[in-house]
Amino acid sequence: MDIAHRILHRLDRFSLAFGHGVAWLALALVLLTSLIVLLRYAFDIGSIALQEGQLYVHASLFMLGIAYTLRCDEHVRVDIFYRRFSHNGRAWVDLLGTLLFLLPLCVLILVTCFDYVVVSWQRQEGSADAGGLPFVYVLKTLLLLMPTLLTVQALAEALRALLKLRYPQEPDADKPAGEGSAWN
Amino acid sequence: MELIPLLMFAVVCAALMVGYPVAFTLAGVALLFALIGMVSGTFDGNDLTFIPNRLFGIVGNTTLIAVPLFVFMGVMLEKSKVAEHLLTSMARLMGPLPGGLGIAIIIVGALLAASTGIVGATVVTMGLLALPSMLKLGYKPELASGLICATGTLGQIIPPSIALVLLGDVLSSSYQQAQLKMGLWSTTTISVGDLFVGALIPGLVLVALYIIYMLAHAMIRPQDAPAVDRTALGDEHGPLLPQVITGLLPPLALILVVLGSILTGTATPTEAAGVGAFGAMLLAMIKRQLSLTTLQEVMRATVRVTGMVFMILIGASVFSLVFRGFGGDDAVHQLFEHIPGGTFGATLMVMALIFLLGFILDFIEITFVVVPIVAPVLLAMGVDPIWLGVMIAVNLQTSFLTPPFGFALFYLRGVAPEQVATMQIYRGVVPFILIQLLMLGVLALWPALATWLPAQIYAQ
Repeated sequence: MDIAHRILHRLDRFSLAFGHGVAWLALALVLLTSLIVLLRYAFDIGSIALQEGQLYVHASLFMLGIAYTLRCDEHVRVDIFYRRFSHNGRAWVDLLGTLLFLLPLCVLILVTCFDYVVVSWQRQEGSADAGGLPFVYVLKTLLLLMPTLLTVQALAEALRALLKLRYPQEPDADKPAGEGSAWN
Repeated sequence: MELIPLLMFAVVCAALMVGYPVAFTLAGVALLFALIGMVSGTFDGNDLTFIPNRLFGIVGNTTLIAVPLFVFMGVMLEKSKVAEHLLTSMARLMGPLPGGLGIAIIIVGALLAASTGIVGATVVTMGLLALPSMLKLGYKPELASGLICATGTLGQIIPPSIALVLLGDVLSSSYQQAQLKMGLWSTTTISVGDLFVGALIPGLVLVALYIIYMLAHAMIRPQDAPAVDRTALGDEHGPLLPQVITGLLPPLALILVVLGSILTGTATPTEAAGVGAFGAMLLAMIKRQLSLTTLQEVMRATVRVTGMVFMILIGASVFSLVFRGFGGDDAVHQLFEHIPGGTFGATLMVMALIFLLGFILDFIEITFVVVPIVAPVLLAMGVDPIWLGVMIAVNLQTSFLTPPFGFALFYLRGVAPEQVATMQIYRGVVPFILIQLLMLGVLALWPALATWLPAQIYAQ
């Protein structure tokens, strides 16, 4: 395997493994929500900390899962024409889209959010509600983690597209076997 | 310069057709416009400094916690083969009636809509399981395929549905905006729960209309939808009654818990979704379908769908930020003022626009991109927010059914046997599109169909 393939493989594997780890947050969210309901309706206990914990789990689930979704090619496309394009046509769409749309977006989010997050860390910003969690600065850090992870996978996608243009046999991103798309 | 927002909208539509993921295209096109605007002095770069606040607003949106939970519930139910059992038992129960198999399909579709709410999965499951046997038993291919496509789309309108969660969230902030614009400071709010309640009666009326059509068709042309002998539908499954009970009970119990707790106002949609997801997991466990692999598949699918939905929300909010920066809001406002026919004309035009956009865009994209632009204007003209939400939902459902671009048709084409021609599928959905349009007309004439039940529940 040449160096380009090896890099692509590494990046792909990283996003996949990271996503599989993040997936456990889905179970955590279900259990935490059920616990909140149980406490509220059976024991009449309402906890702001638990509610905020639920929000933290939910926010981490999707912010950290966006790059993994890209790795699995599950961000919806309008594919009326795309799926009829040739191998090279699809590679060009993905290459140009990644360079013109996706990477600039990642840079924009990183640049605009950097100070916002740093200020929050410096102030050790906590919840505005009494009894809430004192970790708002951790939550805000998701605004930097999301574009960072996404940049990693975007570079992988650009590399994949380049390899597809170079080698006619180069495969598309492998979709998770048998899991299929769950939306629509 | 009010031409730029229109140009931006046109360019984004064109760029989307190329096929790069929607979420990134929305944001990317907006960024390119912002860059050009900053260089040419037509766009204030300071507008982009709102991005952190916008993004953190999405991160901190508590209403949308219901989304991953409903996705988890739907995928879990799908993996535990609830649909299959429901389908085989209902088919055996209803088969001997004229048009009975068709009615079984409608009922199963409605129950799946209320429990899993995933359109594609419903169409694919019924297309794989029911279509071949319906054809074998003498059903007309047009009728069978039209029926499956139409009932599959019920997942978007019958609550609880993910589509309604997203729409409800967007409409509630649009409604706030509209009231502030009208100078009302003591604003009233609408919630996702309100939209669920409002969509319930229209959803059930649609189901009833489908069944009436099916019965009428079977009576007038019995050869299209023959009654089927019960032995032809699989005696190997054992006695009928236990099969019906075990097939029907699990989804019914879940629907009762989830929908019941929302309708009676005891639980928020998020709480109900959490309990529903937990219940779906228990069901899968009882049916011995919950292995570690299945659990992992469900969790991963949940992350992917949720990541996809929220990335569109992020892309759409970057798009709308730039769109507003270019004065797009005012442009839409002015446009609406020039439409003849006042509120009615404006609503009609928005509905037509959404119908057309439904050919290329998904429910999520329309909800996050188009609705926030047009809804505040319509609501400020005095349109009822719940009624508007239900109209948009039924409208999009119709759009997804309309050839040649309807999403439901693609899903069925993907799994339908070769012997069914694409033209047959297209012809088959025509009666159901007419039913949908009839429903839209009825809703327009009697808005109470959508607004009456929420008012009753509020009054308590």
